[in-house]
Amino acid sequence: MMSIHHILAHLAPATLAQAAAPAAAPAGNPMPEGTIPPDFWMPVGASTIAGSVDQMLAVINWICYFFFALVVVLMAYFAWKYRVRSNSHRFRMDGPVHNTPLELTWTIIPLLLCVVIFFMGFRGYLDFSQPPKNSYDIDVTAVKWAWTFKYPNGAQSDDLYVPAGRPVRLVMRSSDVLHSLFIPAFRVKRDVVPGRYTHLWFQSDAITGADHGYHLFCTEYCGTGHSNMNRRVYVLGETEFNEWLEQQARWIDEIDDEELYFKAGPKIYARCSQCHSIDGSMGTGPSWKGLWEKVSGGAGSDQKFADGKSYRDLIGPGKEYATPEDYIRDSIYNPGRHLVSGYGNVMPTFKGQLSDRATDAVIGMLKRLDEFDSKGQWTKAAAPAAK
Amino acid sequence: MTTIGIRDPHTLAPAAEDNYITHTKGFLSWIVTLDHKRIGVMYMVAVLLSFLLGGIFALLLRTELLTPGRTFVDADTYNQFFTLHGAIMVFLVIIPSIPAALGNFVLPIMLGAKDVAFPRLNLFSFYLWLLGAGCTLLSLAMGGFDTGWTFYTPYSTTTTTGGVIPVIVGVFILGFSSIFTGMNFIVTIHALRPKGMTWFRMPLFLWALYSTAIIQVLATPVLAITLGLLVVERVLNVGIFNPSMGGDPVLYQHFFWFYSHPAVYIMIVPAMGIVSELIAVHAHRHIFGYRFIAFSSIAIAMFSFLVWGHHMFTSGQSALMNTIFSAISFSVAIPSAVKVFNWLATLYKGSISLNTPMLYALSFLVLFTIGGLTGLHLATLSTDVHLHDTYFVVAHFHYVMMGSALIAMIGGLHHWWPKMTGRMYNEKLGMIACTIVFIGFNLTFFTQFMLGSHGMPRRYYDYQPEFQIYHVISTIGSYIMAFGFLMTAGYLIQSLISGAKAPANPWGGRSLEWQCASPPPHDNFKEQPRVGDCYDFSIVRWDESQKGYVVDRSLDPELDEGAPQTAKA
Repeated sequence: MMSIHHILAHLAPATLAQAAAPAAAPAGNPMPEGTIPPDFWMPVGASTIAGSVDQMLAVINWICYFFFALVVVLMAYFAWKYRVRSNSHRFRMDGPVHNTPLELTWTIIPLLLCVVIFFMGFRGYLDFSQPPKNSYDIDVTAVKWAWTFKYPNGAQSDDLYVPAGRPVRLVMRSSDVLHSLFIPAFRVKRDVVPGRYTHLWFQSDAITGADHGYHLFCTEYCGTGHSNMNRRVYVLGETEFNEWLEQQARWIDEIDDEELYFKAGPKIYARCSQCHSIDGSMGTGPSWKGLWEKVSGGAGSDQKFADGKSYRDLIGPGKEYATPEDYIRDSIYNPGRHLVSGYGNVMPTFKGQLSDRATDAVIGMLKRLDEFDSKGQWTKAAAPAAK
Repeated sequence: MTTIGIRDPHTLAPAAEDNYITHTKGFLSWIVTLDHKRIGVMYMVAVLLSFLLGGIFALLLRTELLTPGRTFVDADTYNQFFTLHGAIMVFLVIIPSIPAALGNFVLPIMLGAKDVAFPRLNLFSFYLWLLGAGCTLLSLAMGGFDTGWTFYTPYSTTTTTGGVIPVIVGVFILGFSSIFTGMNFIVTIHALRPKGMTWFRMPLFLWALYSTAIIQVLATPVLAITLGLLVVERVLNVGIFNPSMGGDPVLYQHFFWFYSHPAVYIMIVPAMGIVSELIAVHAHRHIFGYRFIAFSSIAIAMFSFLVWGHHMFTSGQSALMNTIFSAISFSVAIPSAVKVFNWLATLYKGSISLNTPMLYALSFLVLFTIGGLTGLHLATLSTDVHLHDTYFVVAHFHYVMMGSALIAMIGGLHHWWPKMTGRMYNEKLGMIACTIVFIGFNLTFFTQFMLGSHGMPRRYYDYQPEFQIYHVISTIGSYIMAFGFLMTAGYLIQSLISGAKAPANPWGGRSLEWQCASPPPHDNFKEQPRVGDCYDFSIVRWDESQKGYVVDRSLDPELDEGAPQTAKA
């Protein structure tokens, strides 16, 4: 909680602009070059359209200030000037009852202003509704409750990395419900709709580097983890971006097979952790604790699914899944096939989003779950003496 | 009991005789009553209780937002809080508050009629409301629902919370309650206007209720169909909106907003009608530009059907549709601006009593101006893309829905309180409470404009720490506002117990409801009274013996029974 002093400081008009500033700067970083500094109303602006949006907003704001002041001043003046003591015995009768020219005036002036505002907003909108032809495409998949960004060379990331100085087009789809991608610093937003592709484009020239990014939010309500679908947008210079892209495409292949489960596993689990705990605590999905014992014929393997079958009925040579690994993989790719009792058909498919090696890493992690803490961090490295 | 047609106003003094409250006695006489006044009072009690419930959810969710992350509940509970707050406030409180509660009570009396055209339908619609409200409460017992009040698919058809079906059924039923009230009002205004009351002599509140009724009757069936399809999809797995079954989620949004945007005007247009009455009566001044105000209500009702697409600027609908909807959306600004300027002009050279109802009317003017002007930011395409689905939108519609519609409703409640209950409330406490509510409201919601424009999305359980200062101020504001409302409840209840007896016309009103006793007798008027100009205050004068005003009908040749009749039939 803030102190009263702090709140008062925020309320003083002179300090308001400064107070608003940290709300917008990318994660406490000094503002990158080429950005529009934040002000009383708007956060930092870091895209090529931010300037025109802010200008439009300022125009509307000044129209609003003017009319608000006009209405309030007239209202206060009349209410004071023409007030009477209660139970007045006489009412004045000299007020006009109507005045058509005057009324037409205050019909037509707002009308003209609205036409002007509409056209200005329309022109600004046209500027950013069509992506330029030479844009750099990034595929976006939204699921409850994570984003996947896929780059032309096959690289994937959870945060958005974009090259500076060239138009970027996001080709977006959703695996489950409605989401919406919003980057306040770029002044762009578009719903991500299941069953269709939607597009969004922007260009940012303000390089942030890979340490402090701009906010990226989900703005269409999507359930429990809606407010945790916030990631960062990093704007990188050309060479830096290309290096990152190369490294990102290869990282999982460069890990040795034996090290895969603890080097790649936690990174992938970060996404699963939205719903699945490791320590047995309740979540949107069943906890991973004890899962491997259940699927491999150990403790709890007679536990029944919602459809009445048990793990033992499903998994084993000649059954629906020949090996426990097959079952795990299919649960990731076709999550609704066998629902664990007490849980809804909520999980979206991760087919096409997790590579074979990534899936292997998850399975490896499940097999040795006792080596990880409740947050999914590998504890063995930190405490080698434990074993 | 004397009739209203008699010249001597002294005989109108209520002398502990028969009124609608004492006409018949017992619980049964209330629940099977066909009297529009009793039905209006029952609606009012029900709506105010719902307002309390919705308000408790608002305070819970504001408290949760005091800190980022968990303050005292988890994300799922928070999601239920805001969903319930929205659904209760929209469907149970604001939509029925003015037409069904105040409108039911006042409309027939303003017309000099004994009742609405279909009293049984009126009672039926109240029972439908109770049934719908019951379904909503039932859904709470069945696990609640976390879909947001908009029930967007496919989330609403896939969420695992158990109360989705009951609440959808509830809203479906509430819709019919609203349709029946609307039909009743349309017929009543067409058929039961008294001699001399031409369309352009109706009090402006009636114009507003008439416009509202048209929207209720035309738009609400679309909601019913949409919710029906939602149930079909969720229960029978028929793919209508869910793309995994071949449906289209954007179609749902079109259907939903085709009702729900007009529904915004179901909420605000009657509020504008109340404000026209409050300002004219408490400024004791002929309303300025009657026809412009009346026509602007009709214009808003018509435009309301053409602008639903502005809720979907970022939904993926085509740029052309966005452009068209943006252009039409601005058209709503014009009649709204006309009304504000006409109200201001009505204050000019008035004889203004600065009392509680007037204070609420002035609060409405300020808050509606802010709510209306910020609509410009959201109708403009380029700025809406940034502001869409952020707290800016939340602040905007609270300024219109709460700061305008509910504030006008509470102003109207104070205005007609002496008429409904026969008691006066404590004027000083009323003005203090109104001021507290006004301050609390602006603290709560003005900060949310800033939250939104800085990029804070709506319906967020957790948020970035830099937004906290705004959330803290907003929450403190909501507590202040709650205190103001509790104070209001306190002195209103106190007035029922020990309030001074109300005269027939405590404010100096001119329309017909101020010319029958407080509270009105069962039949309102023994015979249909003739009416003149309901905003001509020159024949209203103070009568010391009644401690109230009287409409001295002898001063108006049109109303003088002995004079040649000049009124148009």
